[in-house]
Amino acid sequence: MTADEQRLLDRLLAGEQRAFAELVQTCQGAMRAVAYAIVGERGADEVVQDAWLAAVRGLAGFQRRSSLKTWLLTITANTAKTRYRQDRREVLLDDLPAPHGSIDDARFASDGHWLLAPSAWHEDSPEALLSQEQLRECLEHTLLSLSQLQSSVLLLRERQGLELVEICNLLDLSLSNVRVLLHRARLKVFATLEHFEDTGQC
Amino acid sequence: MLTCKQLVACSSDYLDGQLTLGERLMTRQHLLFCRNCRRFIKQLRLAQATLKALPPAPVEGAEALAARLAAERRATR
Ligand SMILES: [Zn+2]
Repeated sequence: MTADEQRLLDRLLAGEQRAFAELVQTCQGAMRAVAYAIVGERGADEVVQDAWLAAVRGLAGFQRRSSLKTWLLTITANTAKTRYRQDRREVLLDDLPAPHGSIDDARFASDGHWLLAPSAWHEDSPEALLSQEQLRECLEHTLLSLSQLQSSVLLLRERQGLELVEICNLLDLSLSNVRVLLHRARLKVFATLEHFEDTGQC
Repeated sequence: MLTCKQLVACSSDYLDGQLTLGERLMTRQHLLFCRNCRRFIKQLRLAQATLKALPPAPVEGAEALAARLAAERRATR
């Protein structure tokens, strides 16, 4: 736990509303992703609400060994799992078609070399890419097309910066499943960016 | 020697540090000689960074939630 977090925790313990607002801003997105991965769209918001309340009630007993975020995510996962444990064996294999496809077999010759090599993108920074409003929308569209678990794992890894093993533990997934989910999701995002850079449209 | 297709298949694991030492060396060796795959990895990293840079969705009702949580905390003290 960092010194900043220690101070935040003290303010939370004192019941300072501003401190809770900060915590909500930094953790709600990740909590929502964890809840969504386990219970799906319906119920995710309720799980997050319940997790917040459980967290506040347990705040005094929080061990300062882990980060607040890790602790909150564990509570969220547990809340979600007690509420509703879905049979995810089929869901896990879901690989829904993405708007711009993926980097699939069609891109390679039979000898394994590129048939259609990646094209050079016009922009080489995230800021330049995201300054194009249409591309932002296009990206959101692709993210929405991902399966429940693909999008959750991608979000938790790329946006929330969780370690793969943390994702495995929170979502009760094997490491190899997390790796596959992440890889498929990344290739779809890649395909969307490539398509946009090639054609200038979504 | 890895093929380009194999390199792409293990590209996420490469970025996440999930490859064994041997696999990592084979990947690096391929990248040394293959311009297309270098570009692919570079742009895959850019795609990662772009996702990270997407503005976060605003949290709806954040203030109300914070108020409720703070009140709850003060009540249980
Ligand atoms: Zn190659």
